Amino acid sequence: MAIEENRTNSRSLDEAVEHLEEAEVHLEHAREDEAKAEREVKEAIHEIEEASQRDEVDVHVIHVNELEKATFKEKIHATLQQVWDKSYKELKLERKPKDVFQTAGAQPKSLMGHLQLTLEQARDRKVIENFHFGIASETGGA
Amino acid sequence: MAQIVPPTPVLDIARGIASLDEDIPRVLAFLGKTAIEELGWRRLNKSSLIVPIQGTLNGVIENYVLRLGFAAYRKWPPSAQFVNPDTLAYAHPVDQHHLPILTSPECHMHPNYAAANGKTLQLICCSATQEFYDTAHPVEPNLIWSGQNTFYTTVAAIQKAMASFYGGRFAKL
Repeated sequence: MAIEENRTNSRSLDEAVEHLEEAEVHLEHAREDEAKAEREVKEAIHEIEEASQRDEVDVHVIHVNELEKATFKEKIHATLQQVWDKSYKELKLERKPKDVFQTAGAQPKSLMGHLQLTLEQARDRKVIENFHFGIASETGGA
Repeated sequence: MAQIVPPTPVLDIARGIASLDEDIPRVLAFLGKTAIEELGWRRLNKSSLIVPIQGTLNGVIENYVLRLGFAAYRKWPPSAQFVNPDTLAYAHPVDQHHLPILTSPECHMHPNYAAANGKTLQLICCSATQEFYDTAHPVEPNLIWSGQNTFYTTVAAIQKAMASFYGGRFAKL
């Protein structure tokens, strides 16, 4: 009777050890899967960041009257109007009613007739040569 | 908006020179330069600055010489005159061909402007030049020169007109 009981206990212990070993294998697989999933998430985030950066350009803006300048990143699909609007925030200046948006450089050209174009469109259509812009107050004269 | 005739500039040369002394370093820092010579500019005397200006028409580049005067600066904008590069002065009509044709609504060139107050002079008709106020030109109130501006506002306004409203050189008389 006692021998039979010992055999039963021994079998139960063997089974439990076997279960434990199986569980440990499952856990190891699960950890591998988790690590793989984490790597995939990181890769996906990196891809998103790279794609986002590919769509961004450095915008340089000056305010001719205030002698202020700023550089910031902007989406290539942002319109010139949006770039102009954002420029005030970056320059920490208030918009004045007679301000105009223009290219920068020695011979600035008004962009007021092109404000709905995106940066990409403006560049492709040769409206702008680069992403350097200026804000100036309109002058009077005729 | 209704136009008004602003008061005539009052000359204060000492103040003009001091303001120019103060503003040159600001403008240079803004443009990322350390000396006016890097820009091709030249300080002719304490109250005058020479600024080369280029115009391009049909691929032809023409060079002009702009002379800025600071006798009423900065309460008023600098005087701005295109001049003969040899004499650095302007006499009408012999020097007329040293002037660019500018037809911008913001900046229009008159080689020999007869003002309502009887004055006759070269007028770069732009609210960022002293002559605009000397000739009692009417202007919208919100376009009147602000004492917060610097002479670079004047240079930039003329450069902008040269970029889009330049019509070549005036004929030699």
